[in-house]
This record gives sequence, C-alpha cells and structure tokens, in this order.
Amino acid sequence: MSIYGAAFGFGLVSAAVIAIAAVGFTMQFGIANLINLAYGEVMISSAYAAWALNQAGVNIWAGVVAAAAFGAALSFVLNRLFYTPFQRRGAVLIGLVIVALAAGLMVSNILLAIVGPDSVSYTMADAVVLRAGGLILTWVQLVIILISAAAMAAVHALLTFTRLGKAMRATAANATLARNCGIPTGRVVDAVWVITGALSGIAGTVAAINSASFRVADGATYLIVILAAAVLGGAGQPYGAMLGALLIGEMTELSAAALSPQYKEVVAFAVLVVVMILRPQGLLSKIGALGSAG
Amino acid sequence: MTAGQIYYATTLLVYAGVDVMACIGLNLQFGVSGLVNFGFIIFQAAGAYTAAVMSMPPAAGTFQQYVGGWQLPFPLPWLGGALAGGLLAIPIGLIVLRRLRADYQAIALLVISIIANTVITNARSFLNGAAGLALVPPPLSGVVDTKTVGYQWLYVGLTMLGCAGAFVAAGRIVHSPYGRTLRAMRERELAAASLGKNLVLLKMAMFVVGGLIAGLSGAVLVGYIGVWAPNTWLYPETIVLFAALIVGGRGNNLGALLGALLVPVAFEEATRFIPQFGPPGFIPAMQRVAIGLLIVGFLWFRPSGTLPERRRVFPKAQSGGMRDGDAAEGFRGSPAFDGRPARAASLAPGPSLMPEGPPPAAASVPRLRAENIARHFEGLRAVDGVSLELYPGRLTGLIGPNGAGKSTLLAVLAGTLPASAGRIVLDGDDVTHLPAFRRAQRGLVRTFQLSSEFSQLTVLENLLVAVPGHPGDTLVGALRGRRSWWPVEARLVNQARALLDRFGMSAAESQYAGDLSGGQRRLVEIMRALMLRPRVLLLDEPMAGVHPSVVDEIASVLEGLRDDGLAILMVEHELSMVDRLCDPVIVMAQGRVIGQGSMTVLRQQREVVEAYIAG
Repeated sequence: MSIYGAAFGFGLVSAAVIAIAAVGFTMQFGIANLINLAYGEVMISSAYAAWALNQAGVNIWAGVVAAAAFGAALSFVLNRLFYTPFQRRGAVLIGLVIVALAAGLMVSNILLAIVGPDSVSYTMADAVVLRAGGLILTWVQLVIILISAAAMAAVHALLTFTRLGKAMRATAANATLARNCGIPTGRVVDAVWVITGALSGIAGTVAAINSASFRVADGATYLIVILAAAVLGGAGQPYGAMLGALLIGEMTELSAAALSPQYKEVVAFAVLVVVMILRPQGLLSKIGALGSAG
Repeated sequence: MTAGQIYYATTLLVYAGVDVMACIGLNLQFGVSGLVNFGFIIFQAAGAYTAAVMSMPPAAGTFQQYVGGWQLPFPLPWLGGALAGGLLAIPIGLIVLRRLRADYQAIALLVISIIANTVITNARSFLNGAAGLALVPPPLSGVVDTKTVGYQWLYVGLTMLGCAGAFVAAGRIVHSPYGRTLRAMRERELAAASLGKNLVLLKMAMFVVGGLIAGLSGAVLVGYIGVWAPNTWLYPETIVLFAALIVGGRGNNLGALLGALLVPVAFEEATRFIPQFGPPGFIPAMQRVAIGLLIVGFLWFRPSGTLPERRRVFPKAQSGGMRDGDAAEGFRGSPAFDGRPARAASLAPGPSLMPEGPPPAAASVPRLRAENIARHFEGLRAVDGVSLELYPGRLTGLIGPNGAGKSTLLAVLAGTLPASAGRIVLDGDDVTHLPAFRRAQRGLVRTFQLSSEFSQLTVLENLLVAVPGHPGDTLVGALRGRRSWWPVEARLVNQARALLDRFGMSAAESQYAGDLSGGQRRLVEIMRALMLRPRVLLLDEPMAGVHPSVVDEIASVLEGLRDDGLAILMVEHELSMVDRLCDPVIVMAQGRVIGQGSMTVLRQQREVVEAYIAG
C-alpha cells in the first residue's frame, strides 16, 4: 500500500474541511462584497469555544454545533460593528480590507489574551481505523467528510430552492437593484453573515479535530488555504470554492507525502499566486457565480 | 543621567528612527501611491538578515547556521541591507503588481508575508530557522569600542542620518510632479493610464524605493539589537505600521513621522510603565487589540489622520509675472519637448492647444483607423465588427441607443479594454496590442463617461498631471529636487491657468476636484485631456450634465480643435449638438454600425431613425 493512497485519503479529509470554510468565505465575498481577512480568526475562536465546552465534559460533536452558533454570532457582530458601517459610508473595497485585517487582529489577540499561545487538543474517543482499498481513514475523519457533504448539500439547497437563497443571489448580482425590487438586502446580508459564520465555526472545529492539536496562531494559516481554494475556484462562487477545496486539499496532502508536511501552506500559496497571475477570475469564471467578482 | 537612563534614551531614539524610516517607506507606497503593501515587514526583514550575515563571521565553528558570514566593514552591511530590500521588491513586484486588482494585491502580499515567515522558520540551514540570528556584531566593532556611552550616541547619530536621508528623498518625491502622478494613480488608475502614465512602472518604482528604505531600517535595527528572528517580523508588525500611517496622516511625510512616533514608539513604550497584570502575554495581546481599534477608530472618525495630506496651492503670481505671451508660448523651449516647435497660437481668442507631432497630414489620410473591432464579454458581443476612420480636422459623431456599445468601442480604441478581435492603426502604426498608456503617449487620448477626476488633487493639479514629458515627472527628476523642474512647472501653471480662465473655472483652481459639481468635473476632464495635446481625442459624452452656457464654450473649443487639425470622435446624445459639430456621424446599435454619413442623410434612413432618432 503506497504512502500516496493514504495521502489521498487525508487529502479528501482536508478538502472536506477546506470546503466548509471556503464556501463560507466566498459567499461573504460574493454577497456581502467583502474580503473577510478575519475569517481564519473566527474559525480558530470557534474551535476554542468548542474546546471550552469539551473541557467541561461535553462531547466534541455537540461542540461542533456550539461552535457553529458561536461563529455565527461572532461573524454577525463583526459585520454589524465594523463592516456594514464602513460599507454604508461607501468605503472602497481596499479600505474594507484594512478594516477586516484590523478586525482579525483584534479577534485573534482577544483570544490570545484569554487562552494563551500554547497548543491544546480536544478529548475524544479513540479513533477506529477504517480501511477500504488504498484508503485509511479514521471514523472521525469519515464523520468530517459526511459533515462537509451535508454542509455543501445544505448550501446548494439554500441557494437553489429557498427564497432567501434567491434573494442572496439577487443581492450578489446587484445590491441596489435588488433593494429597489423590494428585497431587504440589509436583512439578507445579516443572514449571510449568520450562515457563513456558522460555516466558519464548523470548519474551525473540524479543522481542529482533524489536526492533533491547535493554537491561536493557526488562524492565519487557515486563511491562506481558504484564500487559495476560494481564488482557485473563482472568488465569490460557492461551487468553485468546493472544487478549489478539493484540488487544494489533495495537492497539499499529496505534496506533504512527497516533500515535507512543513510546506503544506507553501504549496497552497504557490497555487494561489499562480492562479492570481494566470487566471485571476478563477477556474469557474461565471458558472454558478454569485455575481461579479469586481 | 545614569548609564541606564542613557541606554534607555538611546534605545528609544534608535527604535524611533527605525520606525520613522519604515513609516516613510510605507507612506510612499500606501499613502502616496495607494499600494496596500501588507507584506512591508518582509522588506525590513530582508534588510536585517542581509546586514546581519554581511557583518557576522563565517558560520562554520559557531553554534548557528546561516549563509554569508562575510565580516564586511561598516557601512557595507547597511548599504547591503537597503539593497536587499530593494532587490526583493523586484520579483515580488513582478508577481503582484502587474495583473492583480488592488484587493488581490493586498491579499497576495499578506500571504507572501506569512509564507516567507514560515519558510524562513523551517529552513534552518538558511538563516538559522526559528531561533534566528544572534550575536550580530554592531557596526564599527573592532574600530571603536562599542560598549561605551559615546558609541550609543554615535549609533543614534547614524540612525538619524539614515532617517534624514529617507525623509529628504521621500519629500522630494512627494512634492514633485512625479509625486503628483503617483497621487493621481492612487485616486483613479484607469484615468491615470489614459493620460499616458505607466502604472506598472510607477508601482514598481515605489515598491523598490519603499523596499530600499525598509531594508535600511532593518539593517539599522539589527545592528543595534544584535538579534533577528522570525518572530520579530510576523505580519502583525506591518499592521502596526499601517496603524501609524492612518493615525499620523497618510500621504503626508510629516504625518508618517508623527505616526511612527505616536504608535510604535509612544504606544508600545507606554505599556512599559503600566504594572504587569494578567497572564504572561496579556499586555502585548491587548496592545494589538488597541492597534486594531486605533485603525478602525481613525478610519471612522478621522480618516485623513492627525496631519492630513496638504492641499497644494500654487502661488498666484509666478516668478516674472504672468504676461499674455507666457501662456501662449506654451511648452516652447522647455527641455521636455526637445526643441520641436510648438505652433504659435494664442490661447486668448481661439483654442490653441495644438496637436504636436507630424505636420498636418493631408485630410484624406486617417489618423486612426479601426478595422473590424470586436469586444466580447462572456458571450455578450458588446462591439461586433466595427470599422471606422478618424481624419484630422474632422469631428466624427458616434450616436446610438443605450447599450449600443459606444463606450465599449471608445474603451477598446483607447486601450482601456483589450480588443477581442480586429486591428487599430494610429498614424500608420498598429497599436492594437499596446496598453492604454502607450497609446496616450502617442497622442490618442480619451475621456470617460463617468466622471473620472482625481478627487484628492486640486483642479490645477488635475490639469498639470496630464502634461507629458515633464522633467519633474520621473523618479530621477523628482530626486534632483525642485530647482531642476520648477521653471517648466511655472510655465505649465500659467498655461493651465489660461485654460481654466477660458472655461470659467479659475476660481476653483485650488479646490479638490472631488468637491466640484458633476458639470465642473466634466470640464476638468476635458481640460486635462487638452493639456496632453492629443492628436486623436475620444470624448465620451463631454457635455452631459454641463451648464448650457458652458456647453457652448465646449462646442466652440471643439470646433477650434477640429479646425486646428485634431481628429475627434465624440459620443453624444444631444442631437442638436451633433448636428452643429459632427460630420460624419456614425450610428451604432447592438454592437454594429448601422449607418454613417451626415445627419441630414442619416435622418432619411429608416433603419437609423427606428433604432435611434425616433426611438
């Protein structure tokens, strides 16, 4: 059995984690029109929220649900406190990037002040190993993949079948026009922050489950991988982000097997730079777009 | 003062000097040019590492691993550090600055900053990995005794020297015509490119200059503290510098200086005096939270900072006074125009901003020829096989219903948008694949349908920025100082004032263009295009939103330009104006030309009337 078979399996798990995060990130960009550089920090904060419960004896899967609620609340607050006021005032995209970076700095340092810089890990039942073909996955990893699949299906259903989802797509395409058509874009954007915040909370927690331990500084590295997946798929496009997540997940794990696991982020970064230079609109340029990326 | 106090004071002064240098470098990029360099700290790191390995002994036999170890004498490590910062800016600039949108640029630089730190941390044999370099010998060790109080003050002096150098260079750049061009780029990139400004070159230049200054600051710092490790240049350090600029006042060098003293120095030093409380690391974390609050708070309550960028007001009377002849003389004799004679004409009675270049060609040879131009957007054929010719001395009208593709055609002709197919020939040369700024440099100039003034430049500056070949509009010219370009500048100011007078805008000369009414902005844009002395002028609804009395003035100026031999294409919806000025007129609908000829002829074509005139 080759090391690459196992790496492919890990890649699937990574992809599952990245997909949850990247879909949320890209929806914020597409609908709320904001590059949320605080995203990785929201993820890690949610992971710590789950950790606090886990320390108190709560099962980690219940912790995932709590982290989703925490991520949703934190994202909602960040948006209401910082992003929406600046957007209402007509700040340009680049000004918002600076605001978001400052917001991320505050979130991560508040967290740092509370929990400290050291690594922690969840307490959970010993993992049962499943083998199928060349793949080796633990039961926990399988659950992560299932959670991700469920989240993707939910996002698809939301955008395709619900009124809210259609309102989101209309807001993404043209917020002013949507508002003039009677769509309460303010509330739609609030909903986007809650939903994507929940996604970031889930993503942060499953990422932390998937890695042996985690610490506050991981927020920044999450962000790189998510950016790579979102940009690769085409910024603002949920289905593109799913595809990007799959590619980035596999690429980082396979390269980790071939080279060294220390350079996972470097591989993601290389992909990001190449895509930005050669195809800044991403792989899926218009198919399934949530409005223009500009 | 006790030795301890002196040591404290000198340390503070060196730190302040380093932060001031860094802020001045970042201000050139972010404040002046609008480059959001979230990776600024890696240029400082490059300088620090380089200076360290240039001054350290060979690594063999020490407990550290690193490349270099050349033991070069002062000031080579400092120069090497600056150079390293500047050189590093070239490959990164080539990756980031050429094709990426501004927000992608910022993100890419942030990511590069994080990744660079990861790589250096993991690659131990390169620069000693996470532990970093220690025992970096201070400058002049072996030459003077570096353990004395005198050496401390010497170091402060050397730091201040570096600061002063950076400050003077940055000041010359900011206050020159080159700085004006940088600010124009910051305000509106597309418009700056349409005036012939090479944006990539401008950004690269500021990236390198900022990198040099950052590298020097790193070299100064490492020489003093003697250690340098990855955890000293994490990406939040860049955010602290951004906070300094936002608090101090971006775009203003004094603001950058003040910000450096207020945020990294005073703010981080102040916490030394509050009693320790909370777990270890609590206070630094809270400091960072406060930095974030400072950024957000200032952006909200005082976005231009404590010392905002100063508005440039030109003195009323130029040296020698303004004679009638001054304005009329135009650029004649200025070195920028290598002796080509400007055609003698006076601004006062008739339009005089003449096209330069080849003598007026026979009116039968087109200045601009477009063949089968097409422009597609994701399957939508906005322009679908349009051919046209613009002749010198003719004002061609372009009319058609909304969505006909008129503005897109203009953008393709000017190079703002690349053509999907077809060929564009300007004065016999194929310019299809030239970027917008090169076409503008060849005399093909456009205006925009949506107002595209440079908001944070005064009206007068908006006009001056367009002038090509200004000796102060290069990095070298700017660094030479004001004396080298002021004579030309003074002449241009007079010329611009004459133009302002003609359009009744003199009173607004020192107002920010962003504070003008819509109609006034329109005028600024037309005057700006004229300052460039185009040969082919593409106007996108030049009269929309302009007061009727000024419409007449614009019309008569256009007539004058036409009679002087300019080739003009004008998109206009006001048919009476098209009637008065344009012949021939081209009618577009759904991306195609559906009629061409004089208005009289067009009015008789059913298809045209249905598509547009009656509609």
